[in-house]
Amino acid sequence: MNYETVIGIEIHCELKTKTKMFSSAPTSFGEVANTCVNEIDLGHPGTLPCVNKEAVRLALLAATALKCEIDPLIKFDRKNYYYSDLPKGFQITQQFHPIGSGGNISIDTPNGKKNIRINRMHMEEDTAKQFHSDAGTLIDFNRAGTPLVEIVSEPDIRSGAEAMAYVEKLRALLYYLGVSDVKMEEGSMRCDVNVSLREVGTQKLGTKTEVKNLNSISNVQKAIDAEVARQSALLDQGERVIQATRRYDETQKTTVLMRKKEGDVDYKFFPEPNIPPILLSDAWIKEIQDGMEELPDERKERYQSQFALNDYDADVLVANRELSNFFDEVCLHTKNYKKAANWTIVEVIAALNKANIKIADNPCNPVYLAVMINMVDNGEISGKQAKEVFEEIMLGKDPQKVVEEKGMKQMSDSSELLTLVTSVLDNNPQSIEDFKNGKDRAVGFLVGQVMKASKGQANPAMTNKLIAEELKKR
Amino acid sequence: MDIKTNTLESVETRIQKAIDKAHASQDKLNAVVSFIDPCEQIENLKAIDKSAPLYGVPMALKDNINTKGILTTASSRILDNYVPVYDATIVKKLQQAGAISIAKASMDELGMGGTNKNAYRGEVHNAWDTSRISGGSSGGSAVLVASGVVPFAIGTDTGDSVRKPAAFNGVIGMKPTYGRISRYGIIPYASSLDHVGYFTTAIEDAALLLEVLAGRDDQDMTSSYRKVETYASNINADISGKKIAIIDNVQEGVEDSEIKANFQALMDKLVARGAIVEHIRFQDNLMQALFPTYYILANAEATANHSNLDGIRFGMREDGESVEDVMIHSRTKGFSSYVRKRFVAGSYSLFVENQEKVFRKAQKVRRLIVEEVQKTLDNYDVIIASASGNIAPLSENSADEALSNESMVTENHMIIGNFGGFPSITIPTGFVKGMPIAINMSANAFDEQVLFNIGKAIEEETKLKGNDSEVKA
Repeated sequence: MNYETVIGIEIHCELKTKTKMFSSAPTSFGEVANTCVNEIDLGHPGTLPCVNKEAVRLALLAATALKCEIDPLIKFDRKNYYYSDLPKGFQITQQFHPIGSGGNISIDTPNGKKNIRINRMHMEEDTAKQFHSDAGTLIDFNRAGTPLVEIVSEPDIRSGAEAMAYVEKLRALLYYLGVSDVKMEEGSMRCDVNVSLREVGTQKLGTKTEVKNLNSISNVQKAIDAEVARQSALLDQGERVIQATRRYDETQKTTVLMRKKEGDVDYKFFPEPNIPPILLSDAWIKEIQDGMEELPDERKERYQSQFALNDYDADVLVANRELSNFFDEVCLHTKNYKKAANWTIVEVIAALNKANIKIADNPCNPVYLAVMINMVDNGEISGKQAKEVFEEIMLGKDPQKVVEEKGMKQMSDSSELLTLVTSVLDNNPQSIEDFKNGKDRAVGFLVGQVMKASKGQANPAMTNKLIAEELKKR
Repeated sequence: MDIKTNTLESVETRIQKAIDKAHASQDKLNAVVSFIDPCEQIENLKAIDKSAPLYGVPMALKDNINTKGILTTASSRILDNYVPVYDATIVKKLQQAGAISIAKASMDELGMGGTNKNAYRGEVHNAWDTSRISGGSSGGSAVLVASGVVPFAIGTDTGDSVRKPAAFNGVIGMKPTYGRISRYGIIPYASSLDHVGYFTTAIEDAALLLEVLAGRDDQDMTSSYRKVETYASNINADISGKKIAIIDNVQEGVEDSEIKANFQALMDKLVARGAIVEHIRFQDNLMQALFPTYYILANAEATANHSNLDGIRFGMREDGESVEDVMIHSRTKGFSSYVRKRFVAGSYSLFVENQEKVFRKAQKVRRLIVEEVQKTLDNYDVIIASASGNIAPLSENSADEALSNESMVTENHMIIGNFGGFPSITIPTGFVKGMPIAINMSANAFDEQVLFNIGKAIEEETKLKGNDSEVKA
């Protein structure tokens, strides 16, 4: 039978704050277990939550980027359940009044752009991390209380590929905004997908399963493809899909049952009495939105319209925020955008890879790269010399100093060059003879001689031109 | 005994006297959960100016107030081994003011109850007659002040947990406006109703203590930024023109003729001092709804507030096959059945299928009650009524479960102060059958001063300043 796949995605993202959502303990990744905690994170009696303003700011940025409607009255609720990774026995979240609702983002599909609607985005706190073994359960509370946003899509996604594009798009957005590290492998971005099938042409949603904790973007697609295959095989055999939570097994390349869902859990949500509603001022919201960084789509559009870059170059640059920021800096100091893009995409990346340096730690001063590009364009150095200069720039050196120190400055002064050309011609009568006999190769030899005499500094174009002129005179 | 008593003696002597007295009466009153060795605190006094408002004054803290390194049980079995890792904000404030805590005082388990019979280490007895209840939940604190052990003690008040035991023990019980005193580090009952309060024997002391305890705390988002006033030096017993409203619904439920007469005599004296005393009546259905509404809201919040007590990270742990079993066993054994019953009631009101018609409805009723009371406070300085229709009941006759319908309004009206966060004070006004009786007054939010002013006038009339009971060992 022909099925339509219906997918909705819930994404949890850790916000990039210095301290936790409701306590002043530091947020951490990879620190020694239970060292980034205080009495609040451990749910000790008598502790009270205090909302992290920076977390609200970041959530506001994310909600704006997702084109959500912003609720300026911030309220929190308690979600009650007992679990050893939940110190207070409830999680503080935004059940009734999410900070953002009703947004959308656009993804690229083989059939063009597609809008995926966002149902809601809310703030909450993370739980502790548990390590189960035969000897017992170990709990690391460092993660407990870390600020999160949860982003819930509408069931608008129709394939594993679309799901991957959605997650990728969201990831790029949040990363650009500096809202989150969005590292799926480290768990700072976590993805749960709800998958169901229905007969093509029908409207009623089929029974869904939830596939949890996918630890890479490619696994999002793989897990969905595997789950779709599993569900359609079941339906083809006339069997039912059972509502359950499943996980993706990478080695088996299939989804595995974690637990069945028997009715919804009643979390007994109610408003958090220790946090009075906080009304965000219009001025504060506007200040944050106005200061918001340019988003990837806008940036690509600018690269194509303003810098006339091709689709590929624009994509490569935009895909990496630091690289793209670097490129923008270069472009502030040179008008040769195409060359700036080429140097950035090809040479800078290659040099960084070779030296095993992260883009974020790029030692190259963008102004220097721009100066170097301009030197080539002005004929001050040759393209070949530029490669040598570039190596020094990647060590943090000023190109003008490099050129000076190495005595590289290209000889572009015509009278100086003429003296050289005249002397070379004087010393090579045979070549002049050859030229007159129609041997064009002789010109090349003469140019080479000028280059040699100038220690490579002669401007090749000017040298060519001068030799041609002088030969005619002889 | 007030704060100025024994100030001529050395701090060491003064503190030792208080400790000796507490020990001497412990068998009779059972007001103390743990005694605190004061040596370190006395040593720390060296860093504090001798003019600090509470320099060297002994005090007791209710056992739900976290004290770093000192056992804090909230009179619950599940916390019977709990040693906090941090001090409550008010503990730091009291230390900076020079006060020395000598004891953690007994209470009803987790603040749940009004008798102080529901305490893991046993019942607390009334300072005036040990066969009677102290009242609760801050019973231990009330009794330690009433028996002259300490001039003041800290309590907490969620329904009337400071103001009722104050009435039963003949001391002043003050509960300021919600948000006036930080709750950080106080083991909660119900967060939207919990207040820090305290017991004293003098109005001046009550005013002075508020200066010490009040103020914004960034660790409590519900605490107020409002400036703390100089309440003590502002006290003015001239109450001419002050408008006082007697709550008729409450007074109608007072059957004891001596209590009635005492109340009327006091009102006459206030009139004689120039106060305008009038009668008002709140809607009867709203007053009838006070206790049921309170029971729903307080226990709904409580069931979540105490979900952290699971035996995993601190407190009593009862083993089990799985983590879940550990939690179930620890909680089953760690709480009294009385407390578990309240958790069940709280959970019930929050279930999805009940929430609208129970919890949300109770929240709406709470708002209606507050609006009703506020209408009166818009026209009066204070509302006033008897703190209780009776003297402290005999222990054998009292149980928290058994609430008679007849005394529903009279015995629960002080909940108004918690619903609206209004400042509210209980002041002793005399004795009936050898037992203390009291009135209660509430005012507009942050108008604690008017309570101290009228309270001072009442104190001058009753001449009960500094009064306490001699408990014979």
